[in-house]
Amino acid sequence: MKNGRATPLITSVCYVRLAVSEPSASARFVSDIFGLQRVAGQDGEIAFRSDDRFRTVSLGQNSADGASVGIEVWDDRALEEIGRQLRELGFTAKEATTSECRCRYVQSALLTEDASGNRIDLVVRPTRSGRRYFPPRDAGIVEFHGVGIRTTDHLRDLSFWRALGAEVSDWVGDIAYLRIDGLHHRIALYPSKRNGLLYAAFEVEALDQIMQNSYFMQESQIRIVQGPGHEPASSQMFLHVEGPDGLIFSYVNGMAELDGKPRLARQFPLTASSLCDWGSESKDVPELSAQGR
Amino acid sequence: MIQLKDVSYVRLGSPDLESAESFATACLGLQIAERGKKDLYLRSDERAHTLCYSEGDPNDQTVGFEVEDEASLQEAASTLESLGHAVHAGSAPEAEQRKVTAFIGFRDPTGNHVELVVRPERSGRRYFASRDAGITGFSHIGLNSTDPARDERFWTQVCNARVSDRIGDIPLMRVNAIHHTIALVRAPKAGIQHINHQVETSDDVLRSYYFLNERRVPIVFGPGRHPTSGARFLYFKGPDGMIFEYSVGVDEIEDEATHRPRQFGFEPTSFCMWGSKPAGMALPNS
Repeated sequence: MKNGRATPLITSVCYVRLAVSEPSASARFVSDIFGLQRVAGQDGEIAFRSDDRFRTVSLGQNSADGASVGIEVWDDRALEEIGRQLRELGFTAKEATTSECRCRYVQSALLTEDASGNRIDLVVRPTRSGRRYFPPRDAGIVEFHGVGIRTTDHLRDLSFWRALGAEVSDWVGDIAYLRIDGLHHRIALYPSKRNGLLYAAFEVEALDQIMQNSYFMQESQIRIVQGPGHEPASSQMFLHVEGPDGLIFSYVNGMAELDGKPRLARQFPLTASSLCDWGSESKDVPELSAQGR
Repeated sequence: MIQLKDVSYVRLGSPDLESAESFATACLGLQIAERGKKDLYLRSDERAHTLCYSEGDPNDQTVGFEVEDEASLQEAASTLESLGHAVHAGSAPEAEQRKVTAFIGFRDPTGNHVELVVRPERSGRRYFASRDAGITGFSHIGLNSTDPARDERFWTQVCNARVSDRIGDIPLMRVNAIHHTIALVRAPKAGIQHINHQVETSDDVLRSYYFLNERRVPIVFGPGRHPTSGARFLYFKGPDGMIFEYSVGVDEIEDEATHRPRQFGFEPTSFCMWGSKPAGMALPNS
């Protein structure tokens, strides 16, 4: 992950910016139902916190500079190095303007796109908050954990992430779990017919909160896309729930920590039990299902 | 005082041993120890059997508890008789049927059929499950009570049970370090309300939830977590309406001398802290 450097190139998935059709309806889902803390936004965006970061989710009306996933980069030197590598591989990497940095709450950034057309912001010094996180309901959220991303060109997209220093921890069919720190994965690439964010995952304290949230969603008549379930490759428990515009937010807990030793990625077959060994299945989201994508 | 060491077995009458066997193996996941003409013996742990189905009336339900030795058994018999309980001294063939060296039978104040047994058999071969449910052993029962306060006195004053926690006036009682071995359940008549088997991990509880759902086994409560014992649980219905429970992570009472029973209100969250609601199964007080 360090590409021979003393420090890693990237360190975390630090935010998701989402473009939605009705920001206020989506905002109600994100705070009242899912349980993130709504904070003051700017430029018409609605912002949320999930941990000690200044904001990890923002909602904006569908627009050109709409959706993106923020990846924290170690420093400006690492940012330059990544920019060089991405351009060599033929990806676009554009330096963010001051106003683009401001609306992302970061000091500097490269705005890039993977081969599928997913916008990935590589950012330096994302803002933290001095105040502790205070959620609107007791969902047990600990931190923004990671993302699932749809890919239409998984080989090229993989080379994009490898240029950032990510490594494949395991495969389920062609689904790639990507490691960027000590955990099994923070990013998962799901082959799909289209691009876009598949889910944003938030870590909760324990199995208790996965299950409490599952019953809470049933009572609130919110669609559970899949779960409660358990990924055998990462030993992570999950509950994927769906908000407006088909947005999937997930509660997760228990992901395996790896010891940092060189490790061969394992291949699992694309079957239901490779995606969930408890027995949950996704009926309507093809990327999360073993059949038909 | 009658010193109960542990719960030993449950005996259930059933008009249809074939369905009982297919449920016990394909759904519940127990191992067949022995198949007689009129009896089906099932294992769940290192013991030779912990559940026995006998051809007969499903209202015939018996729970067996182990006591130390024959002297304790004789002492228990005279204690019970002096309190006016009719005591049945088990014959040799009856003891053989139960795979114990000696036993007595009696009824608790509600009328539940209880047996006290000496030296229940263990098996030399390890337990090998019929399906991978993760069962580690038979652990406790829910026992009907027409008067929980009276029956609590019987189990704690005539016998050695101690109350670990109460939900409303329903006591969860232990006879060893495990949080509870007998959970009283308010009901109009005698009977066993549920039979608990422990499983290895919470993964097993969730896996069985999806597995049993797929096989159309009625899930009556859970997956959930009891705030009292801390156990993650799943209740489901077997043959003749008997309810079985899988659970994992039952607390042990660390300090016998200083433990004080906690009082929980009689409300759904006292039975499940995750938010599951019983369906097709009465909560103990209703």
